[in-house]
Amino acid sequence: MKLWITALILTFGCFIPSFGEEETDARLLASKNVLNQYLVEGKDLTVEYKIFNVGSRVAFNVLLNDNSFPESSFSIVSGNLKVEWERIAPNSNVTHAVILKPLKSGYFNFTSAELSYHTSEESRERTLGYTSFPGEGGIVPQREFDRRFSPHVLDWLVFAFMTLPSLGIPFLLWYSSKSKYDQSKVKKN
Amino acid sequence: MAGGKQNKLSREEELLLQDFSRNVSTKSSALFYGNAFIVSAIPMWLFWRIHQMDLYQSAIIFVIGTIISTYLVALAYKNVKFILKHKIALKREDAVAKEMMKKLADDKRMTKKEKDERVLWKKNEVADYEATTFSIFYNNALYLVLLIVASFFLLKNFNPVVNYSLSVGSAAGLLALFSTSSKV
Repeated sequence: MKLWITALILTFGCFIPSFGEEETDARLLASKNVLNQYLVEGKDLTVEYKIFNVGSRVAFNVLLNDNSFPESSFSIVSGNLKVEWERIAPNSNVTHAVILKPLKSGYFNFTSAELSYHTSEESRERTLGYTSFPGEGGIVPQREFDRRFSPHVLDWLVFAFMTLPSLGIPFLLWYSSKSKYDQSKVKKN
Repeated sequence: MAGGKQNKLSREEELLLQDFSRNVSTKSSALFYGNAFIVSAIPMWLFWRIHQMDLYQSAIIFVIGTIISTYLVALAYKNVKFILKHKIALKREDAVAKEMMKKLADDKRMTKKEKDERVLWKKNEVADYEATTFSIFYNNALYLVLLIVASFFLLKNFNPVVNYSLSVGSAAGLLALFSTSSKV
C-alpha cells in the first residue's frame, strides 16, 4: 500500500509543472508492479502495469514500452512488453500484465517503463511519461528455492526404499531366529 | 591319546575364547563393514537430492564422511554385538539345549561330553547370529534417526557442506559413543 502511494506520488510528480494549466487534457498516471513474492530463476514472474487517466479528456494512441528487461536476463512467457491502446477514456484505467522468466539469479534493478500518448486527437506531439519503478529485487537461484520449498516427496520415497533393506533384512533375520527359539521355550513351559 | 585330548580341550577353549572375545571373525567383520558402508553412503542421497549439494563438487567431503562414518558404525556394530551376545546366549541357553538334545537323542554313540560340546557350539552360533543381526538393525535405525534429526532439524539452516559434515560426524560419533555403554 505504501509503495502504491509512493508510486502514485512519484508519477504524479512528473506532471507537477503542468499543475498551473487548466485541467482540460488527458493525463495519464502509470504504475508498474512485480506481483511475485519470491523471484525465482526459471520460474514465472508477473509484472503488472496500471494506467489511470486522471485528466478530463480521452488519451489517444497510448503506447507503453518497457525496455527494462534485457533479453539475456529474461525471456517472455506470455504478453508483450510493448502495447498500444487507441484510447483511454477520462477517469478510467487499463491494466496490462506480462509474464516473464528470469534466466539468471542475483539482484536485478526493476526500472520504469516508458509511456507516451497524445493528449488530444489533434495534437501532433506525444506526451512522454514514465511508470513507477518497483526497485531492486533479488532473484533466488532455483536450487536454493527447491532446497527451501520443495517437498521432495519422490526423493524421500527413494530414500525410504534405500533404507528398507538395511533395516528390514537384519530385523527379519533376527526376528526369525528369535521366534524360533522363543517358541520352543514357550512349549517347554 | 594325550595329543587327542589336548586337541579337544583346545577346541573347547577356543569356543570359550570366541564366546568371550571382542574380536570378530573376518567374515562377520566383512559383513559389518559392508553394512556400515551401505548405511553411511545413504546420507549422500539426501544431501545430493534434498540439500542440493553438487555430487562432483562435494565428492571429497562425501568420500571422507562416508569412510569415517563406515569405521564408526562398524565399531558400534562390534560393541553392541559383544554386549548382546552374552545376554542372548543366557536367554537362549535352555531352548538351544533342548533343541540339540532332541536332535542328538537318537545318536547313541555320542558321549555326553560331545553332546555338551555340540550344545555349547550351537549356543554360541545362535547367540552370535542373533546378536549380529540385531546389532546391525539397531545401529542402522539409530544412525538414520540421528542423521535425520541432525540434518533436517538441528542443522537445517546451515550451509549444506557444514550440515553434511556435522550431521554425519555427530550421528556416527554418537552411535559409537552409545555403543560403548554397557546398557543396550
